[in-house]
This record gives sequence, C-alpha cells and structure tokens, in this order.
Amino acid sequence: MLRKLVVLAGATFLLSACQPSPSFLNPASSISGHVADLYNTILIMALVVFVLVEGALVLILIRDRHKEGDKLPHQLHGNTNLEIIWTVIPILLVIALFVMTVQTVNAIAAPSPKQGDLNLRVVGHRWWWEFDYTDLGIATANELHIPVGTPVQIALESVDVIHSFWVPQLSGKTDVVPNQHNTMWLESDQIGEFLGQCAEFCGTEHALMRFKVIVESQADFDAWVANQQKPAYQPQTEDEQAAYKELTGTCAACHSLDPSEIDTTKVGPNLAHLFSRSTFAGGSFDLNEENLRSWLKDTQSMKPGNDMEITIPQQQFDSIVEYLMKLK
Amino acid sequence: MTAQAQSISRKQTLGSSGLLSWIMTVDHKRIGILYLVSAFIFFIIGGLEALLMRIQLAKPDNTFLGADTYNQVFTMHGTTMIFLVVMPLAAGFGNYLVPLLIGARDMAFPKLNALSYWTYLFGGIFMYSSFVYGGAPNDGWFSYAPLTEKMYSPTHGMDFWVMGILLLGLATTIGSINFIVTIIQLRAPGMSLTKLPLFVWTTFVTSFLAVFSLPSLTTAILLLLLDRQLGAHFYNTAQGGSALLWQHLFWFFGHPEVYILILPAMGIVSMVIPVFSSKPLFGYAAIVFSTIAIGFLGFTVWAHHMFATGMPTVSLLFFSADSFLIGVPTGVKIFAWLGTMWRGKLRFMSPMLFAIGFVALFLIGGLDGIHLAVVPVDWQITDSYYVVAHIHYVLFGGAIFGIFSGIYFWFPKMTGRILNEALGKWHFWIMFIGMNLVFMPMHVLGLEGMPRRIYTYGPGRGWEIWNYVETIGAFLIATSILIFIVNFFITILKAPQNDPDPWDGFTLEWTTSSPPPDYNFAEIPSVRSRRPLWDNKHPDLADWKKEEA
Repeated sequence: MLRKLVVLAGATFLLSACQPSPSFLNPASSISGHVADLYNTILIMALVVFVLVEGALVLILIRDRHKEGDKLPHQLHGNTNLEIIWTVIPILLVIALFVMTVQTVNAIAAPSPKQGDLNLRVVGHRWWWEFDYTDLGIATANELHIPVGTPVQIALESVDVIHSFWVPQLSGKTDVVPNQHNTMWLESDQIGEFLGQCAEFCGTEHALMRFKVIVESQADFDAWVANQQKPAYQPQTEDEQAAYKELTGTCAACHSLDPSEIDTTKVGPNLAHLFSRSTFAGGSFDLNEENLRSWLKDTQSMKPGNDMEITIPQQQFDSIVEYLMKLK
Repeated sequence: MTAQAQSISRKQTLGSSGLLSWIMTVDHKRIGILYLVSAFIFFIIGGLEALLMRIQLAKPDNTFLGADTYNQVFTMHGTTMIFLVVMPLAAGFGNYLVPLLIGARDMAFPKLNALSYWTYLFGGIFMYSSFVYGGAPNDGWFSYAPLTEKMYSPTHGMDFWVMGILLLGLATTIGSINFIVTIIQLRAPGMSLTKLPLFVWTTFVTSFLAVFSLPSLTTAILLLLLDRQLGAHFYNTAQGGSALLWQHLFWFFGHPEVYILILPAMGIVSMVIPVFSSKPLFGYAAIVFSTIAIGFLGFTVWAHHMFATGMPTVSLLFFSADSFLIGVPTGVKIFAWLGTMWRGKLRFMSPMLFAIGFVALFLIGGLDGIHLAVVPVDWQITDSYYVVAHIHYVLFGGAIFGIFSGIYFWFPKMTGRILNEALGKWHFWIMFIGMNLVFMPMHVLGLEGMPRRIYTYGPGRGWEIWNYVETIGAFLIATSILIFIVNFFITILKAPQNDPDPWDGFTLEWTTSSPPPDYNFAEIPSVRSRRPLWDNKHPDLADWKKEEA
C-alpha cells in the first residue's frame, strides 16, 4: 500500500509537466520497468530510514533544548547493545539490497542472440550519433528506428573519445569506449519517440549530442527500411546536377550520398535520406529549410566547435539547399 | 647597532607581525590560518564559478556562457572545490588544531609544514594562471582519457591541470606525513590512541588515505603528461592505448579522496556536538572503528564509478556489494551523533547549528548514495544530475557545513573573538534553505534524464522549472556566504575578548589562552581521559574514573 502511494505520488510529481516524462520512471521497456521498480523499492526503504532518523533528530532538538537552570545531563558514554543493534540492522538492509540488485541484474541481462533480432552498430562521433544497420546495409544518424517488440542487439563503438548511450525510457547507459567493444540490448514494448542524449562528457558540444529512438510497428519499420535502402534522389535539373556534383565532390570528404556506404571514418553523417529525418546536427535542431540555410551559412555560430567548417559559393547555395531537401 | 640587537630586531619582525612574518612563519597556528584564508578565497572563486553555471542553466537555450567557457568553468569549479578548498580547509584545521589537541608545541616538521602550504598555494595560483595562458582545463575534474589527449584538448589547459595537481598532491603528501608523525610521536603524556580527540583520529586516517591513494593519481597524471608532451600512447586509443586505464588509476585515488574530503568534517562535528550537548561522544570506540573501516573500505570500491563502462557482471556485483558495506560504518556514525545529543542539554549556537545541519544533510547524501551502488539503477542515474545532487549533499551539506561548524567553533580560539551569533544564525538558515533549493531538484532532473556537464538544454523536457529553482537557491547560498564575510570583518575589527574557553569546552585547546601563545602550552599537559578539561571542571564526574574503571 505504502509502496503504491509513493509510486503514485512520484509519478504525479514527475508527470506534472504537460509533456510525457523522458524518465526511466515512465518506462517503455521491460528493462527500464524492472529498474524503475527497483528504484522505487529502494526509495521507499530510504524514505523510511529518512523519516525515522530525521524524525528522531527533530524530536531530540525540540525536547532536549537547554533551559536555564538545567542540571548537567547524565554522562552516558555509550551503550554496547544499542551500538550492536544499529550496526546489525544496516547490515541486514544492505544484504537485502544486494539480493535485489543481483535479481534485477539477472532480469535485465541481454538475452542470447537469436534469429529475428535486429543487429545494430551505434557509433559515437564528436558530436553526433551514427546508426549502422549492418544486416540491412543502411547507415543513418541521430534518429534510431526500431520495431516494437523485437530484441535489438547493439554493438557500441567510438571513433574518438568516450561517449555514453542513454535512452532513459528504454535502458540505462552503456559507455561507448574507443578501442573497446561494448554491447547492450533494447526491446521496446511501446510505439513512440524516446529521447536520448550522450551522457559522458565528450568535449565542447557534449550538450548538443542528442538523439531519439523511434519505435514503430513492424510494418512502419519495414517501410522505413525499404526507403532507406533506395539510392539517394538522383538529380534531374541542371541546378540539381550542379548541387549533386558539389555534394559528391567536396562534401564527399566527410559525407556520403550512398545509403549503403557504411563507413565510420566519415566525419559527418550519411546524407542519402537526410530529409527523412526530423532533426540534424546531433539531434539539436529541427530539420527545415530555415534551419538548414542558417546552418550552411555558418555552422559554427549554431554549434561552435563542430568539425564542419565550410563556405558554400553564393551561386550554388540555393541549389544545394533545394537538392538536400529532396533527399527524403 | 650591535650584532645582538640586530638579531633581536630581526627576530621581532620575523616572529611577531608584518607580512614578512607570515611569509617566513613555521608556526603551525599561522600556517593553519594561512591555509584557511587561502582556501576560503578559493572557495569564493569556486562559488562564483558555480553562480556562472547556474545563470547559464537558469533557462533553456541560454547564451550567457558559450560552450567552451562553460566547460572551463565547470572543470575549474570541481577542481577548485576539491583540491583547492575542501582539502586545504581540512589541512588548515589540522595544522592549527592537531598540536593543540594532542598537547604539543608544534607539528613534528615545522619547515615541511610551511613547504606544504606554499606548494599548495603556488599549485593553485599556477592552475588558475591557465586562464591567461590560452584557456583553463576543460575536461572535468576527473578528466577522462582520451578526451584529455592533445588531439582533443589542444590548449595548454590540461598541461596546467596536470602540473597543478602534481604540486597539490605533493603538498598533501608532505602535509599528511607530517600529520602522521606528529600524531604518533608528539602526544602529551597519557594521551593514548584511545584518548585521541575525534578530529585528530579523522586527520590521522585521512592522512593515511592520502599517502596511499595519491601515488595512483600521480602515476595517472604523469602518464598523461608523457602522452601529451612526448607522444606516448598510454591513453591514446587511436594508437592502441587504453581509455579505462585512466579511470582505474584515477578512481583508485578518487574514491579514497571522497573520504579525505568528508572524514575531517566528521571529526569536527564529533567534537562540536558533545560540547553543545554537554555530554561525551556516544560510542567513541564505534566512531573510531567506523572511521578506520571507512578508510579501508574506501580503497575497495573505486570501480563503482565505472559501472557503465562495460565491466563483467562479477566485477559489477563485487564493487556493488562493497559499496553497500560502506553504508554500515556511515550509519554507525550518524546514530552515534544522535546518541550524543539524546537527552543532552542542547545549546543551539552557530557551531552546533552547522553540526546539526551536517547530520541532517549528510544523511540525505548517504541515502541517495545507496541508489548509486545499485548497479541497474546506477546505469540510469550515473553521469546524470542525480550524481551532482549526491556529491553536493555529501560535500556541501557534509564537508562544507562541517567546516563552517569548525570555523564558528574555533574562531574564538584563533582570534580571541566570537563571531556574531545573530549573523551566524542568518548564515546558517539561508545557507540551509539555499542548499536544499539547489541540490534537491537535481535529483529530479537526474531522474528526468538530464545529463551532467551540459552547457545548455532544450525546452520541453520538463527541466526548466527545476533549473530555475536551483539558480535561485544558488543565489541564496551566495547571500549566506556574504553574510559570513560581513560577520568575519565586523568581528575581526572589534576588540578581542580573549576568552580561553567560550563554549565550555572539553579538550586541551581550551586550556590555553585565545589566541594561544607561540609555544601553545606553558607546561605540557598530562592527560587521563578523552575530555581532560571536563575532568578539571567536574572532578567528581571525571571521565578518567569511568575510562580507567
């Protein structure tokens, strides 16, 4: 009963803001569900201890205040029985906590890989996320599409420094460590969009290394995959030809226009289906014409320190923007 | 002037007053005061850095500080508060008090003591000079590799950080060895280890922690220096180096460091609460053993800072279990402080208010810390604002409240003047409220998915209101510190009362004048119990009768 009340109060508190909470206490997977249960259980234990100890403190402060004319208090140096009790009770509590920890670690451990799992590679770049669907031959960035109810096995790699992959509603963090192969898994039981963000300080724009996970029905996911596997929109007009030339020329040093080119050494994201995404530059800005224009004019004022330092010739600017917007 | 007169006048300038006398001093009390004043100035600097961060985060998409500035500011805030404020404040109290508390005339090595202080001061100034030499360190106070490698941190900031930490570590090592030798060798007759005042015990254990943990940090930063300056590849993952090597070396120091920061404050509180309760410390032996236990356990839990790095399950569970265990001796201490106050005659003067604040807030830091030891929960809340909340309940609610308790308590001993009580109470209450306004909502933000160390955040995630509240709280804390500074100057400009024992104290420092003479005690006291001064005042209720029985 008490537990339900606290959970209810906590949920109301967290959900008091009008948008749905991005917290793991509002879980969208069994992993975060288990962890939320464990968190709440420990929170209740902690609150009981808190109330008892702070209550005793307040009681003492009120009752034992010094008054004029008080005699000296009894000079009590200790009480062995009491001291044993308040050593043993915490020991029992931490044993209980440890048992619960082990149970939850086991409950959320990655299931062994099997047929039908979705295999992914997540690559951390300063400061954006590359998502490679190695089995499906596609690469995208900053927006991770996964089908609902399917286990997703993730290999985590970094091309530079340590990052940390965290989508609270789906799972806890796993660090993305260069020169080390970490893995994690996800399985969402809820269709929706879930926010994530890099959780290990990785330099200047650590704050603008965001992403989201889009959990969709198998059919929607298949449609998305089919679209991503198509080649990029081919130029039709003269303007588009010119833009295409630029994008496969100078820009190709960092960006690919080939959706099947999975190449972690590319400094920037794959652009083949850029406008199938809703955000860009590490999930930091809405992807629309206005933002794209100001980005291409001066990337450094929007996201200082990022690796994209370019000047686009004035006569090509419009055609490049227009072509990019066709890359759906 | 004869040679003799010359030497006397020189002695007077060096020995009694004037700037030079402070620079040349080897007196433990003056070195203690130098430590306290220098560290307090760094505290103000670190606090201003905190205010800059809180202004930047007060609203979403704020542009008050740019990314690069913010990253330097948060790095220097953490580095300052840990290495330039809390450690030297504890060293300041240690220097001033340990000889007085054990009935000695000075530290064992007075000149080393001065060396330790000046190394600390120059280490701090050196690190701050990086702001004018191309940029301060900007990779956080634990500066994870390989972000710290030259290719990712090309300014000289990290080099200043490495050299600065090296100097500060040297200062702490010298100081710690001095404390260990002083406490072993210079105790007054009769003061066995079982009669040591609690603050001396915590300084003793802290010194061992520093001596055994700092080599790991020194190794870590020297390897980094080799990487950065001579092209070695210890942490350079692009050349096959290891990113986690840094983390193991750093946290093997970094976790004992947490206890280096908190144990002296626990010692202070364990001295203050008995005096203002008119009772002996409840369960002296239990507190001493729990301090030693925390010292040992502190060396076995470092990897709980690394739960998300992809460790094998067995290691995860080992470090989790060990971290839980630390809760036990910590709990023993809290119960012992409550037991000390139980049925005492509590006098709520400023030192006592801050000590009670310590107990109340440290408990919260202990309870939210339990969540971080639970591996699956840690995967959610580590590196989020929840951790920032936790460390500040421990290090601000704990260490800083404990240190202020000590400042109010021993200020009359150091200066002969009692700080104004009314201002002291204002200071306490505003700081207490401000502290909770800043750090309690950080728990919520961490649970709501806000990572630490981000210079900006977008609207619409429910983070705005809590960040705004925190900024208000930060300015309340700043107000309370201003009140303290005013109180300091008002008090110091008044004529001294020179009351040797204004609080009705228990221990040896209150038996000598305020401030004490150069030689501390005209006659070295001999000690029969843990509360020698109490025994003098209450011969019929003397502790030694019980302790020797």
